[in-house]
Amino acid sequence: MATEQLVVAPLLVALVTAILTLVVHRYVRAQKAVSALGGVAYVGAVAMLIQRVRSGAGSHGVEGVLTYQLSNWGAPFGITLVADDLSAFMLGLTAVVSLLALAFSILYVDEAGQRVSYHPLYHFMLVGVTGSFLTADIFNLFVWFEVMLMSSYVLVVFYSGPRHTKAALQYVVLNLVGSAFMLLAIGGLYSTTGTLNMADMARRLADPASFGITLAPVLGLSAVLFVVFALKAGIVPFQWWVPAAYRAAPAPVSAMLAGVVKKVGIYAIIRLYFTVFANAAPMDLALPGVVGESTLAFFGPVLFIMGAASIILGGVAAVNRDNVDDLLAYSSIGQVGFIVIALAFAAGGVVAGWQAPEPYGSVAVLGLAAALVYSLNHALAKAALFLASGAVYESVGSIEFEDLGGIAGRMPLLSAGFFVAALSLVGIPPLVGFFGKFLVFDAAVNAGSNLGIGLALLGAILTIAYVTRAWNRGFWGERSEAVEQATPQYGLFATVLVLAVVALGVGVAFDPVVEAAIDAANAALETGDYIEAVGLEDSLTSDGGGH
Amino acid sequence: MTEFVLALVLGLLFALGTFLVLRRDVVRVVWGVSIISQAANVYLVTMGLLDGSVPVLEGHGEGAGAVTDPLVQALVLTAIVIGFGTTAFALVLTYRVYEEHGTIDLLELGGETDGN
Repeated sequence: MATEQLVVAPLLVALVTAILTLVVHRYVRAQKAVSALGGVAYVGAVAMLIQRVRSGAGSHGVEGVLTYQLSNWGAPFGITLVADDLSAFMLGLTAVVSLLALAFSILYVDEAGQRVSYHPLYHFMLVGVTGSFLTADIFNLFVWFEVMLMSSYVLVVFYSGPRHTKAALQYVVLNLVGSAFMLLAIGGLYSTTGTLNMADMARRLADPASFGITLAPVLGLSAVLFVVFALKAGIVPFQWWVPAAYRAAPAPVSAMLAGVVKKVGIYAIIRLYFTVFANAAPMDLALPGVVGESTLAFFGPVLFIMGAASIILGGVAAVNRDNVDDLLAYSSIGQVGFIVIALAFAAGGVVAGWQAPEPYGSVAVLGLAAALVYSLNHALAKAALFLASGAVYESVGSIEFEDLGGIAGRMPLLSAGFFVAALSLVGIPPLVGFFGKFLVFDAAVNAGSNLGIGLALLGAILTIAYVTRAWNRGFWGERSEAVEQATPQYGLFATVLVLAVVALGVGVAFDPVVEAAIDAANAALETGDYIEAVGLEDSLTSDGGGH
Repeated sequence: MTEFVLALVLGLLFALGTFLVLRRDVVRVVWGVSIISQAANVYLVTMGLLDGSVPVLEGHGEGAGAVTDPLVQALVLTAIVIGFGTTAFALVLTYRVYEEHGTIDLLELGGETDGN
């Protein structure tokens, strides 16, 4: 049993840290120490969980899927937490980024800010993210989303100046409406399927007749739910809150929002649409432009269009921004577009059953693995870049391109970190970004989508354009007065550099990472295993995947 | 009949909420958002069969009819608490916006140039 309790370990560590930082908030040093220790303990807990999941520990005889039933109430009556390869992958990414962003915050956020509320909020946000990755209950997912959002609202308005309050107002109102929609969709799904447990829902949808379910509303309700996840992931047409919010938030928070919180939306799309809704019994969609009888036949084209629009809009808008943060914010819209088109290829692969060469086996697995590796790349590179932008602000006092220039000569350490992270974003081997882009192209080729290849190429070119511009205006060229008078903050530079080195290290030792990504993709598609591990009888056909 | 009335009420609540969210005044927007989320709560409650009996079975469950689903009510309680917190935060934020900008008119807010 001890193994199964490990599932809640990351959650508990983050929660206890958040509460302890509140308890010691009068003593700034103690608070920093508790916060840092908590960050390290979180990484430790996640590492232990990943090690267990990867070594094949499992529940109910399913290898690699650990479940924890709250208060030992069996599914579907209690709330179930599940740690499988997919959750483990996302948690691993979260752990790395959160620890470094935390180290950066301790050096970056001013003393008064840290004393007020920074550390508890940061850890509560981490609690929400962790819970979202682990839960197997859609209402519970809503609750974790709210925990995460509530902290992020306050972190976005943290400096509470004119610009920050305005950005936060937009962010809050938008997400409140989003939450209402999520509640509506969840209520509808509950009344249609009679369950909130994801595994149970997948089981019931696969065999609607014996549970008395009408499938038609499920598609509409899942589409409403999709809007909420798209909003969280910041994909077109729900992208417009992104730049203002990222610019308003303190740099380490922007790093977390772009690197990790966005990925919660991506994770939810993978978990719900590939694991749960994809297994619904064939239904007559009869929608224009939709070929196939699976829900993914509908969501595939939707994902493709939204991803394509994100790549183009984010990339084009990023090219002529006036400051580093705006450029990075628009760039993250474009980069998430890459993740989303990889998901679209995977959806197409599930519907059409396209084959791909080993070790992937199918385009479905390849597309999901591409999306996951790209998420990892974006989390590491974009977090490093946002931290670099914060370090520039702290050293130079501005992140407007007109005040910058010649940072490379003045602060070589920071520039090296920025350069490596930027190259990873562009996709230069042997950085992790290269493999991310490569897998997306590979998925496009195997899906036979020329349009997809063209889009990915266009996105890559746009990435090169805005990254080059940022480098040229900020780091090369003549030293501006502000840069000349800068006071370098070496502690901050070190964290940027560490993240950049991680991006390099992951690229160099890529084999275990791609293996983990492929296993995660398989875990997302093996609905039968998911259902069995939760302790429910699998009513899917015995071919394992249920496709 | 109850279902018809509730459907009508829900529709009206969503319409009212949407109308308020589209106003220029930030306070009205916050009202609108909280009306929408309350409407979502009412919708959730209606998902749990309104005219059933209490989910506690009498007399060893003999002759028990349809019971009202208690789960949705638990969900709504959770959602109400979350909604309470977020509404309070949104109102405080509105006040901060007023302090920082001297206005809560969205058109005037939007017209301001972004400065530090």
